[in-house]
Amino acid sequence: MSASPIARQATHSQAIPSRRVLITDPAQMPDVYSSTPGGTLYSTTPGGTRIVYERSFMMSLRQSPISQTPPKCPLPAGLMKNPASGPHLQTSPAQKTRSNSISFDESQETFSMDL
Amino acid sequence: MAGNTTEEVEGSTSTETKTNTAAEIPPEFLIKHPLQNTWSLWFYDNDRNKTWEENLIELTSFDTVEDFWRLYHHIKLPSELRQGHDYAVFKQGIRPMWEDDANKMGGRWLISLEKKQRTSDLDRFWLDVVLLLIGENFEHPEEICGAVVNVRAKIDKIGVWTADTSKQHANLEIGRKLKEQLGIHGKIGFQVHRDTMVKHSSATKNLYTV
Repeated sequence: MSASPIARQATHSQAIPSRRVLITDPAQMPDVYSSTPGGTLYSTTPGGTRIVYERSFMMSLRQSPISQTPPKCPLPAGLMKNPASGPHLQTSPAQKTRSNSISFDESQETFSMDL
Repeated sequence: MAGNTTEEVEGSTSTETKTNTAAEIPPEFLIKHPLQNTWSLWFYDNDRNKTWEENLIELTSFDTVEDFWRLYHHIKLPSELRQGHDYAVFKQGIRPMWEDDANKMGGRWLISLEKKQRTSDLDRFWLDVVLLLIGENFEHPEEICGAVVNVRAKIDKIGVWTADTSKQHANLEIGRKLKEQLGIHGKIGFQVHRDTMVKHSSATKNLYTV
């Protein structure tokens, strides 16, 4: 499988292709601001360049090790999945006991404090 | 001996696996893939002692595919939420309420799910809707504000919120894409927020249907 443009950009350094165009007369300048002498160098999609991902590609990134790490932000305990059901979580027995013992009311209190 | 053979096989397999993972980590797994937009994840708590607005909490935001998955892997699925709870994913800066400037001229494509679909379709539909949004899979991405999932006693709902109800072409394209990608066979309707405000949602007329 070949890498996506974003991965290529991040993992290989490439020389920027360049071409010199000598201008001798103002008439040789393009008449629109969005063009460069000798032709437009950059490309965009209508409405500007947009980062688009297909579902299948995003689904493949689901398995990435980075995607498995816990989020950094604090989240209400009541919203967290039970670690026992999450195969990706590496939990020590102590952690497991703690999260299993949380009742929903407790988690709601945690939630109110977040406000 | 049988025992020894097994040990040997296991030993060689694990060595092989180690070598493979060291040498062949796909380049896609080494980086984070930036999204076009930064998205916020909201949660509606349904605490009766609080106002509607107090119950609405912006949990966090994400701007890469991997950061979305990190959240997704660690928080409950919609089907695991209590009835009365909502999740919402909106472009950062847009609050998931009709009153927000970005929403006040807008409406939503509404997918209603019967209770029996909570186990079969709710989580799948929600994930696919969020992926369509953050992957910028619509032809008129500027019209997209966000999406909401309501977990309710009778009918669960997923709504895709758009910015301007008068943009018929853009809204129809969004509705068609949604229906096609989720594999919905029946009709889905588009409701104007200003109509939903004054009537119960089930009594609101559809502006568009696909």
